[in-house]
Amino acid sequence: MRAFLSILQKEFIHIGRDRVSLFLVLAMPVALILLFGFTISTEIRNARISILDQSKDTESNHLIENIIASGYFQIVSFLDNEAEIDHDFKNKQIKIAMIIPPRFEESLEQEHIANIQIINDVSDINIASILNNYLRTVFNDYINEYNQINNGFETPISIVTTMLYNSELNSVYMFVPGIITLIMIIITALMSSITLAREKETNTMNMMLITTVKKINIAIGKVIPYMLLSLLSTIFILIISVFVFQMPIKGSIGLLLFLCIIFMFTSASFGLLISAVSKNQLDAMMVTMMGLFLPTVLLSGFLFPLDNMPLFFQWLADIFPAKWFIIAIKDVMLKGANFMEIGKYLLILTGMSVVMVWFSLSQIDKR
Amino acid sequence: MYSIIVENLTKKFGHFTAVNNISFSIKKGEIFGFLGANGAGKTTAMKMMCGLLLPTSGTAKIGGYDLATQSKAIKKNIGYMSQRFSLYDDLTVYENMQLFGTIYKIERNTLKQRIQDSLQELSMNDFANELVRSLPLGWKQRLAFATALLHRPQIVFLDEPTSGVDPIVRREFWELIYKTAATGVTIFVTTHYMDEAEYCERISIMSEGELKLIGTPNELKAKMEVQSIDDLFVKFVNR
Repeated sequence: MRAFLSILQKEFIHIGRDRVSLFLVLAMPVALILLFGFTISTEIRNARISILDQSKDTESNHLIENIIASGYFQIVSFLDNEAEIDHDFKNKQIKIAMIIPPRFEESLEQEHIANIQIINDVSDINIASILNNYLRTVFNDYINEYNQINNGFETPISIVTTMLYNSELNSVYMFVPGIITLIMIIITALMSSITLAREKETNTMNMMLITTVKKINIAIGKVIPYMLLSLLSTIFILIISVFVFQMPIKGSIGLLLFLCIIFMFTSASFGLLISAVSKNQLDAMMVTMMGLFLPTVLLSGFLFPLDNMPLFFQWLADIFPAKWFIIAIKDVMLKGANFMEIGKYLLILTGMSVVMVWFSLSQIDKR
Repeated sequence: MYSIIVENLTKKFGHFTAVNNISFSIKKGEIFGFLGANGAGKTTAMKMMCGLLLPTSGTAKIGGYDLATQSKAIKKNIGYMSQRFSLYDDLTVYENMQLFGTIYKIERNTLKQRIQDSLQELSMNDFANELVRSLPLGWKQRLAFATALLHRPQIVFLDEPTSGVDPIVRREFWELIYKTAATGVTIFVTTHYMDEAEYCERISIMSEGELKLIGTPNELKAKMEVQSIDDLFVKFVNR
């Protein structure tokens, strides 16, 4: 035990003396979350919109007033023809445009049909879909209000959206789970495997292996400090999301932390696996980038919705732990899921850890 | 009294035989030079003897313990220092020694005393709290040697301990080796410096995984009719 503690102490010294890395590790999550959070929330609050009102009647005016009142949109210009829409997208940096067709009021009163057309800039699919949802909400509210005042009829709403978009509701909240995942992986898996690989390179590994200390203790001693560091970062991220971005945590905080700790173990096992198969730091970097980082960014549902991917990629996503963690953490934070409801994901993550640890140990023990 | 007995030790990596059926014995307190060209299988042989690699076949007794069944006892009784400097750069001199001493479960006060003594002997007392990174290479090597001796091993394996240091430091380092051997510690050393080979009590030359020659430097020179170990080595490796 004393031997193990001294290894642990040594790892903490390594981390503590490498000020640059330590600073990066602690500052990176904060920077990421502020970056994602603020860029997205400001764009949403003041999204630039142009409106082509082909009716110019009382009701279309009401609708436009509602859009202004919502606070999400900043009207850039009122257009005269459809050709100007393209011009505004290119030259006035509008994010969204709306067309109110002719006879808007008439069809609303006589046919009980409300039509509008939304044109999105989908170069940023996330923002486009958020704005689309906002505009829909404003439009729905307006129609409901109209119905209450005027006739009590159910008015069928028809919104034509010209681009396909991400149907999932995206907001700053969605980035928090993704960032927590990335941070956990970078710190726990990448950092620990890189430092382990560095020891192989500098030969200190052999120096350690020749002593009486058990291999498993060397590995565990290596991983523990990084696990603690990643947990600290996760807590930072959660604090910022709650207090700066007013993100709700609907589920229990205890369960959330428990989930994070489970994922921390999964990442650590991944780190161990990477160390077991890589000979040097470069190897470790490459394996982590290709085998862990890219799949996490691309195949976890964090940036790109999985539902739209070809079946093969959906199947591929299943074997990486990030997807399951993101589903579970979203469920806890946004839907208030309880232990039983995320039990399946906890089991998957734990199972993955067990398999990876088992495999790594069998590799490390080869002499 | 032999402290190392190697019998028919063999290591194969796939179809490649790195070490082919080598046998030799080394007496307690002997300085044994293990020579050979790069890739001759020296490091592989040494790694097997330290328990870092499992032999494909053959046996060895290291410090009286069986390689196959008593690896833990062997580990307690050997020290190792590698050709590439292998202490932690970002730890201080004291921290490095303390780390390895603790790993070997040396009692706290004993360890403190031993570290003090070693530093005294190396005249490095004033540098105890310096980062190892900041020391000159020669000092690092001597420190690594002292660290490898902290747990008082019976045998020390030195893998090209002096590569890259200047002649004066090399001489100082060999003085340390002699001092240590005089206390009964067996020294097993690989080197590329043929003048160093002359310092050894006995040497062996490995080539292509096989142990070609073994004996005192003078015996071997006489036997092979050469003037120096340098000539011996060149003659041998070229054949």
